[in-house]
Amino acid sequence: MIFFEIAKRNIRLNLLRSFLAAAGIVIGVVAISSMGMLGSSLTLSVTDSLSTVGDSVIIVPVVGQPGQNMVTTESLITGRQLQQIVRVVAPNEAVPIYAGADRIEIGPDKAVAALYGIRPDQIPLMVDIAEGIVPRSTSGALAGATLADEYDLKTGSRVKVGNETVRITGILEEQGMGFDINPDNALIVSERWYSTTYDQDNYDQVIVKVRDINDIDAVKLAVERTLNRRDDEVTVYDTRMILEMIVETFNQISVFTTAIGGISLVVAGVSIFNVQMMSVTERIKEIGIIRSIGTKRFEVMRMFLYEAFILGLIGSGIGGILSFAGGYIAISIMLQDTSYLFNPETLFYIPYGMGIGLLVTIVSGLYPAWKAANLNPIEALRFE
Amino acid sequence: MEEEVSAPVCNGEIPEDAVIRLEEATKVYSLPFGDVVALDSVCISVMPGEFIAIMGPSGSGKSTLLNLIGSLDVPTSGDLYIDGRDTRTLSDDELTELRRDRIGFIFQQFNLIPLLTVLENVEYPMILKSRQAVKGNSRARDLLLKVGLTEQMLAHKPKELSGGQQQRVAIARALINDPAILLCDEPTGNLDQATGRLIMDMLSEVNRRGKTVIMVTHDADVAAYASRTITIVDGKVA
Repeated sequence: MIFFEIAKRNIRLNLLRSFLAAAGIVIGVVAISSMGMLGSSLTLSVTDSLSTVGDSVIIVPVVGQPGQNMVTTESLITGRQLQQIVRVVAPNEAVPIYAGADRIEIGPDKAVAALYGIRPDQIPLMVDIAEGIVPRSTSGALAGATLADEYDLKTGSRVKVGNETVRITGILEEQGMGFDINPDNALIVSERWYSTTYDQDNYDQVIVKVRDINDIDAVKLAVERTLNRRDDEVTVYDTRMILEMIVETFNQISVFTTAIGGISLVVAGVSIFNVQMMSVTERIKEIGIIRSIGTKRFEVMRMFLYEAFILGLIGSGIGGILSFAGGYIAISIMLQDTSYLFNPETLFYIPYGMGIGLLVTIVSGLYPAWKAANLNPIEALRFE
Repeated sequence: MEEEVSAPVCNGEIPEDAVIRLEEATKVYSLPFGDVVALDSVCISVMPGEFIAIMGPSGSGKSTLLNLIGSLDVPTSGDLYIDGRDTRTLSDDELTELRRDRIGFIFQQFNLIPLLTVLENVEYPMILKSRQAVKGNSRARDLLLKVGLTEQMLAHKPKELSGGQQQRVAIARALINDPAILLCDEPTGNLDQATGRLIMDMLSEVNRRGKTVIMVTHDADVAAYASRTITIVDGKVA
């Protein structure tokens, strides 16, 4: 098409100027693409490091607040409440947990560790064992991976907890951060040992392992209906919801960083606008000529928009290629792990940035093109 | 009471079959310091096949008249018919189509498109009209060879040619869509005498083949090529 050809030739005629304007778009596209890719990788890496898959419902007692007339006198889950939970969540399994912390001694070393009291037959539901076995006697315990590593604990080691001594029957796999329990820096003991040692009958929390993820909402609702019928006795979370909240937060961070990149694209848009205005001003006479010999307004407009479009296409194209490199560098510096770069969610930001770049160029070219199309042909012809 | 009878427009002197009919056409420009009447109730008719020279001193309204006939502008009041169409009722796009299809322009400054080659300059109005590329179009080539350019000049840019050659290209461009009217604004103003004569001979030839030619000029020798001269003074036909 002749208008495209004229647009192309005008760019070639003003190569340096056009190149600089397109360079602005390149920088803008690289900025938003690599920021977007960084944000996306960050979200993916955080999601991966959270060990819990969204299959747990966590039930904790409502903590009394000052000035509020609470029915529960102590913030623990009673045996009666546990019975109710077990009944309504069946056939899913409810795991009652004692949670606390105590001073521990390993040989000469003294430390503080978290303690979880769990029924031995339910321990495999909550954690994976790297070596050894679930404690068979009441005085057996499992050591978390970090704790074991730090104090060189092995199967058979003895650890003094408070005034009692437990024997390590196994070491756990590393779990990462969890929403229900964090066993990496903890000892897991039998519920009977815990309840006897600390003289506690009621539970700190109950975790329901939901077999079919689609049942999570139903399980949550059932627990709430039963226990909170009259008063709010318990708070019920599900790990899926918590996970979604965290992912949402990181997505917002990602949007924010991308928006900062977007500022450079605004600057690029201004430079495209400037170049296109120059192009119109320099070619007033030419516009007068083509209008007088029968070129319609929208055809003049098209000619100038093609020019902006070509600049945008070149800028976005180069920007797209460079943002792959830019994203790689940003991710390897910030995360030291580029494996998330090749995820479709991350790579999506390349066409996304290119699309925005092209859009910015065309929008920036609109006014100059409109101005060119609406010049008075008589005055334009007379222009020297 | 006696009934008032309005006088017929232009005393009824404008024939219906004229290719250009200006009927009491007035053009007023509103400027910050007041209105300027550039053309004042002008009555002009041009018959098909005429060769008209428009003369007059600077500022007399010649250019305004040419802009009106070229449908680059419309009269403030009065009527202007070009090829039977009332220009005051036409939209900007329709006026543009009228220029593209029925009028060929030849300017003093040649006014070729600098980014296009000689051949592309001549093809341009044809592409506008047919809305498609006409690669290797033989009509544009034939016209260019007919006005005296050589085959190797066709790929050149306009500025690489002499003034006379550029004006020949402009004539070829003006003729490509087979217009009814050829409008020339000082066509020899930027050329030496010998070249100017060649161009005028060419325009006479075009006129002999049936095209209506309307030409604005200062030069009495050039005006002598025309079959009729219209002189404009102070916005009126003298």
